[in-house]
Amino acid sequence: MRCAYCSNPLNYREIPETLDAAAWQRIFREAAELGCVHVGLTGGEPTVRRDLPDLVAAAAKAGLYPHLVTAGTPLDRAGLGHLQDVGLRSVQLSLQDVDSATAERIAGVRVLEAKLAFAAWTRELGLPLILNVVLHRHNLSRVSEFIALARALAASRLELANAQYHGWALRNRTALLPTRGQLEDAAQVVAEARKGSASPEILFVLPDYWSDRPKPCMGGWARKTIVVTPSGVVLPCHAAAELPGLTFWRADERGLAACWADAPGMQAFRGDAWMPEPCRSCPERGRDFGGCRCQSFALLGDPAATDPTCAKAPRHDVVLAARADAEGGMAQPIALRGAATA
Amino acid sequence: MWNREEFEQRMRRVGKERYHDKHPFNLRMHDGTLSREELQTWVRNRYYYQTRIPLKDGLILAKASDPAFRREWVHRLLDHDGQEPGEGGLAQWLDLASAVGLERTEVVSLRGVLPGVRAACDDYVRFVESNDLLASVAASLTEMFAGDIMRRRIAAFEEHYPWVQTEGLRYFQSRTQQAPKDAAFGLRFVLEHARSADEQSRCVSALERKCEILWRLLDAVEAAGRCPRISRHAQLRNEPSTEQILVVLPERAVRINTSGREILELCDGARSASEIARTLGSRHPEIEQVESDVHHFLEQIEHVGVLEVAS
Repeated sequence: MRCAYCSNPLNYREIPETLDAAAWQRIFREAAELGCVHVGLTGGEPTVRRDLPDLVAAAAKAGLYPHLVTAGTPLDRAGLGHLQDVGLRSVQLSLQDVDSATAERIAGVRVLEAKLAFAAWTRELGLPLILNVVLHRHNLSRVSEFIALARALAASRLELANAQYHGWALRNRTALLPTRGQLEDAAQVVAEARKGSASPEILFVLPDYWSDRPKPCMGGWARKTIVVTPSGVVLPCHAAAELPGLTFWRADERGLAACWADAPGMQAFRGDAWMPEPCRSCPERGRDFGGCRCQSFALLGDPAATDPTCAKAPRHDVVLAARADAEGGMAQPIALRGAATA
Repeated sequence: MWNREEFEQRMRRVGKERYHDKHPFNLRMHDGTLSREELQTWVRNRYYYQTRIPLKDGLILAKASDPAFRREWVHRLLDHDGQEPGEGGLAQWLDLASAVGLERTEVVSLRGVLPGVRAACDDYVRFVESNDLLASVAASLTEMFAGDIMRRRIAAFEEHYPWVQTEGLRYFQSRTQQAPKDAAFGLRFVLEHARSADEQSRCVSALERKCEILWRLLDAVEAAGRCPRISRHAQLRNEPSTEQILVVLPERAVRINTSGREILELCDGARSASEIARTLGSRHPEIEQVESDVHHFLEQIEHVGVLEVAS
């Protein structure tokens, strides 16, 4: 898939080598010892790995709660059933749209039917299903249909995630960023739906571009989430390897605990000592942890700068300009990932 | 702005869409499928709502500067409280309590009131406290839909719950007369005094809010009768150092302390929430409000997915 809102690093296809199942087994064990409870197998697309069942089994054996984040298309029912047999506990399925043609326009391939079949298998197998829809200006008006679909599929949770303008998505920002009115309408629909029924649980928060406060990205840099890339590099988030001047270590070389605690890159933005003003004295720094470093780098070229989505940031003007473009309704075509270089 | 007729239709539509006659618990009551215990739980809890009504009407009186309005509205206090002790709607509700086999004094003590019911009813009083006369009267207009439900209820009780003595049904009988009369006055007032599109839409919202409160009341009553069990998707981990339990769920983990753990151990899918609360109440007579705390806890952990429920 070549989704227009992809926030993965632009070079993620170039990752050279990947660890084998034995190395992962050790990493999962070390993660459990560090106190991790969940492991999210994500990508890219994790189901294209042939040894995925071995990884799931290793995670389950280590006492972790294995969760699969997938586009749903590469796997058949037997494959999903096998993953459950070896210890898979829950699944997150991403969906582009409820309408096949629009979904294809965003993803670059025809996928909706396959995804709906996948969702039906999770229900048949009794795997809890979390549905994830990335929201942008072309699908925000269909939030009530996403909710209806999530109910029909008996999803346990619906994540209405506003697009993060990193990676490929940043190039498409003008084509994707919604207007304030669109977001307010969607918020209203969500509030009504929550009143009507407690199921599924619906996650919806205003995107940072429109909320005047930065998002608490990853719950704080190197604070509660450990990301390990296919080649074993330990990161605070999947995009952090793109930031300049940071050194991260490999779990297979130094052990997960040391990579997590001591790698210079992990320490670079942990806590609040790195913060410039106005963050350093801001009473909200314990809530938003200074926002998103990758965003400051993408928009300002400096990962240590105050996240410009914050209304208190010196360079909030760049976000205000993006908002003005969105409000102006500048029509810009959607560029699919890979299309420019293909 | 709607004309008078459109506005009235809009208000009536709120009832068609959201009044609690469509709540699953009421549907079962009218189908005759409630157990004796469920009926008792409802009567005991709905009594709390009845006790809040005169408080609400007193607040409305205090907002009204027109003597004609007050003369009309003050009837409601007397309808509820009676001219003499033992008369009026509250006393009639206690007759219903006796008729379904409850102790009047226990009901009056409000000890068995579920936290969710208390919260919903208190919300109603607070709503009236913090809103103007127009919105408060609009919120009371669920009375427009009450006559029908009372008639259905009387028929259902006579047909399906013959063990409830008919003297117990006096409250419903009185309300079939009072509710339409009260509603007609309230509706006239709202139709005349909402003088802008904004005021009209505030009235619609107030009535929706009230429907929601009645709905939540029944949600809480219904939840007390259901039998919770630990979710199939939960992975339980003992944390030996603290004697706590970590419940791991998809993308979430919930830490349960030792008193929560005692409650969780009783969630076997066979005991109802009320039974679990009673069991813990008798185990810990020294602690105040154990039962209410148990219901509150069960509601919270069900909300985050630790529990699933069977009827």
